[in-house]
Amino acid sequence: MVSPLSMLPLGGGAFLGWSLGANDAANVFGTAVGARIVRFRTAALLCSGMVILGAVLQGTEGIETLSSITTQTVHTAVIVSVAAAITSTIMTVLSLPASTSQAVVGAILGIGLATGNTNFTPLLKVAVCWILTPIGSMAIAILVFLAAKAILRRLPMSILTRDKVLRFGLILFGSYGAYALGANNVANTTGMFAGLLDGVDNHMLTAIGGVAIAAGVITYSHRVMLSVGSGIMNMDAFSALVAVLSMSITVHIFALVGVPVSTSQGIVGAILGIGLLRGVHVLRFGLLRRIAIGWFMTPFLGLILSAAGYAIITGTFGAP
Amino acid sequence: MFFRSKQKHIEAGMREYREKAAACVSAFALGMHDFCETGDFERLEEQARAVHAAESEADDLRRQIENMMYERALFPESRGDILDLLETMDSVVNQADRTLRSIFDQRITIPREVRQFILELTEINERCVGLMLQASLLLFDTYTSASALTGKMDELESRSDRLQAETVQWIFTHDLSDLQKILLRDLVGAIGEISDKCMNVGDRIRIIVVKRMI
Repeated sequence: MVSPLSMLPLGGGAFLGWSLGANDAANVFGTAVGARIVRFRTAALLCSGMVILGAVLQGTEGIETLSSITTQTVHTAVIVSVAAAITSTIMTVLSLPASTSQAVVGAILGIGLATGNTNFTPLLKVAVCWILTPIGSMAIAILVFLAAKAILRRLPMSILTRDKVLRFGLILFGSYGAYALGANNVANTTGMFAGLLDGVDNHMLTAIGGVAIAAGVITYSHRVMLSVGSGIMNMDAFSALVAVLSMSITVHIFALVGVPVSTSQGIVGAILGIGLLRGVHVLRFGLLRRIAIGWFMTPFLGLILSAAGYAIITGTFGAP
Repeated sequence: MFFRSKQKHIEAGMREYREKAAACVSAFALGMHDFCETGDFERLEEQARAVHAAESEADDLRRQIENMMYERALFPESRGDILDLLETMDSVVNQADRTLRSIFDQRITIPREVRQFILELTEINERCVGLMLQASLLLFDTYTSASALTGKMDELESRSDRLQAETVQWIFTHDLSDLQKILLRDLVGAIGEISDKCMNVGDRIRIIVVKRMI
């Protein structure tokens, strides 16, 4: 029997999950909602349902990777989750797609460095996967774009049928993207508590994390969706569909590998791939630059906040 | 599916609009032909009323289609494109209506020697409208083929322009009163305006297709 009090530390993880949902839902449905192709309510309901499904069915692999970076206690896990949540919230308020994965790993590393207990092997695996995420998504986007273009051109259809096909595709692939988001990123929300709470196993952690992400999607993702939709490149429905599918495939692959990666980096990589096919003049480099700055700032900010939190807790109460 | 039935309604509406617009322009051409043959203003007035009635029906249909668009059936971009297209097509039908009416209102008499020009000009513009309506319907069938017809519309419009110029030259080099010259010149211009407005529709169709080409 799990006591409610023992679940209290998960509040930090829940907050982080909420923040992740608020920020990352834009990466799966932002382009469709921003272009008013899919209603926000439809997107939010689908996204939240599929996130929970992905988290519960395939979310445990990432938990094992994150829990191997450093040794955690319940208190340091809370520090990590709160530090990562604050980092992610700051980026959300700035309406920039930020990487919760990077915020969490940065925060975990902050604890690792503060306690002098860091395992760099899984960290290296994570870093390699982060680099491969936008590159892989870009490559997949180029292939998907060319294949889909060849198929669509051969199909005789009216402009209304074309709209219908694209809307269906955006909903289908957005739902797949939400599933991949849950499967890959749930580890970021509650993974740091793996093995620390009595009666709470990894499957329960994925369920709690999934529900927290879903809550963030429903309550706060609308504004970020609207900013991603028109931000980086003028996206038509076809390009949006290719971008979401490519990002979803990439993120799902890394969910199976067991490394939480950034859906933000995935979607931007896909958009860059499409932009290269259509001509780089359609890309908004100013916004790309801001996003790149955000990506570098995020793990760094997570690291500083968690290390500072650890120092404050240690200074006030002694070593946690 | 819900969306499918809305799509079918819009497509059916567009086909019906096409029929009404075609009926209006056919009535216009018939009116011009009759008037050139008989010079009968009473008969012309009846035919002008028939053209106006067809134009009004086309207008009503257009508004129905526009209302269907706003029931959230389409992508916002497609909604905007189709609404603009309908408005531009409507200007073609209005032009035919106005032109025939103006002959009656201004009691324009068409000299025998000018009639062949007028009839040929009317026929070219009517054909141009036919192509325009065909091209607009293709958007709701195989949209990638729609812009192919705009090239043919372009040819007809150019022919119309040349014939207009030739007709106006004839009018001003022959023995007609100044008032008659001006009225006939304006009439020729008004008929030629039909194919000009068709080209506006053609341009919109081209843009709609290009925007959707990947």
